[in-house]
Amino acid sequence: MTDLDPDKIWDFIILGGGPTAIGCAIYAARFGLDILVIGKTYGGLIATTHIVENYPGITSVSGTEFVEMFRDHMDSLSIPYISDEIKNIEKAKDHFILYTFFQRFKTRTICIATGSERRKLGIPGEEEFAGRGVSYCATCDGPFYKDKVVAVIGGSDSAAKEALFLSQHAKKVYIIYRGEEIRAEPINKKRVYETDNIEIIYKTNITSIKGDGNVKSVIFDNGHEFKVDGVFIEIGSNPASEIVKDIGVKLNQKKEIIINRKSETNIPGIYAAGDVADAPFKQAITGVSEGVIAAYSAFDYLKKFNIEY
Amino acid sequence: MAKLKKAVKLKVFTCKTRQPTGSQIRECMDCGQFMSLLRVYEENSNGMLKIEELCIDDDLELAKRYDISRVPTILFLDDNGREMIRYLASPQAGEIQPFIQTVFAFAGAGNYYEATIKQNIDRIPPSTIKVMITNMCPYCPQVVSVANLFALAGNGKIRTVIVDIMANQDIGQYYDAAGVPYTVINEKPAISGMVGPNEILKALMGGNIRVQY
Repeated sequence: MTDLDPDKIWDFIILGGGPTAIGCAIYAARFGLDILVIGKTYGGLIATTHIVENYPGITSVSGTEFVEMFRDHMDSLSIPYISDEIKNIEKAKDHFILYTFFQRFKTRTICIATGSERRKLGIPGEEEFAGRGVSYCATCDGPFYKDKVVAVIGGSDSAAKEALFLSQHAKKVYIIYRGEEIRAEPINKKRVYETDNIEIIYKTNITSIKGDGNVKSVIFDNGHEFKVDGVFIEIGSNPASEIVKDIGVKLNQKKEIIINRKSETNIPGIYAAGDVADAPFKQAITGVSEGVIAAYSAFDYLKKFNIEY
Repeated sequence: MAKLKKAVKLKVFTCKTRQPTGSQIRECMDCGQFMSLLRVYEENSNGMLKIEELCIDDDLELAKRYDISRVPTILFLDDNGREMIRYLASPQAGEIQPFIQTVFAFAGAGNYYEATIKQNIDRIPPSTIKVMITNMCPYCPQVVSVANLFALAGNGKIRTVIVDIMANQDIGQYYDAAGVPYTVINEKPAISGMVGPNEILKALMGGNIRVQY
């Protein structure tokens, strides 16, 4: 991290810290673009993934190790990364101005790869017991629940993976899901079914989280109080697209940024990729792919400025 | 480490027990591995990094002077001997990167937050940021990195304490922390989970950040 001149005009600023942003940055650096990456969370959501097993060439790697591999790759290309958040984006004559909480930056092109933010349940006790029994990251907090009883809320593939990780630490893991069948990838669904200390409670919502200093129980929508020591919430995420609303980037109904096959948005010079964009299937590898295409599109677009690379 | 802009000296408090053979072994489980790593950095620093390992049992007065009650404790002290950063942890795995970054920033490498901290310094009371971590937590290195850079930019007004709550479980229990990162600023209610630099600075000031763009 270094001092950065606020009046310098960068070729390409990539917003985000996950695989999409990093893939985009690696390609842009290799295209010879003068780039900067600004992210809130290095590694993005994949950093919290217990094991990644579906990235070609890597049979199995933990999320944290995967992020370290990204960091090594970024460092090998001397790509600058800063931890900050964008407050606003403005359009100037031939560039954009990005205002963060700590500085201002100018750039010819932008890739929005801000990913998504975890959804919250919005029920009583969720905020009160955050960090004291309520968690959104099994990798972070699983080891605190050795020989305890925990609940995973949700029925997605991510929820299944969280439950599998927690089953290595906790005495008992309950998956509490409102649907009739968890939606995990078949391989993870099978693992859940075969894990002795995981049990699924279907067709159930929780309406509040109770405790005394730390979490003690959850209340089901049928009024039953169910004793647990920890609650891991994994009910999906929303696209982190708030930063582009004022500059007029078009969003769909889910507030995802609408992109074409060149990762272009409706505003020339602004690209988007990954979980924040409108692809139907969101994976690290599909995000990387869109990010790489965004890097190429930016490289192509910058030719009109007659910059020599 | 040879690229450090100025020489850095860190005090690392450990504790050793003497064996019947006369040799000494370190008592804390993580100290040996971490000290070996620090010695590698020191040896490759062309004299720019100096690690001063101090055994608390050898000099109780010194331990008292620096308020050392746990091992390992790593101290970053400024030129006046004022404590800026305290690690109640032995940085391993993902925590090595922010630790190294802190050493470089301590030696004068660029600090992205410095200008804004200086612009707002009058609104920041003398502060302590306690960041509770584990070495397995994917978000912790980022919070540690930011907190340490704040301490280095704070000109003595901001102090950081990094606590591994797996190794110091009583501290985690004292703060009711059952998750990490868990950030306590000036003993006010904790911020649980990933917290960005803007949120930390707002919490320090109790209000919005003023930035002259």
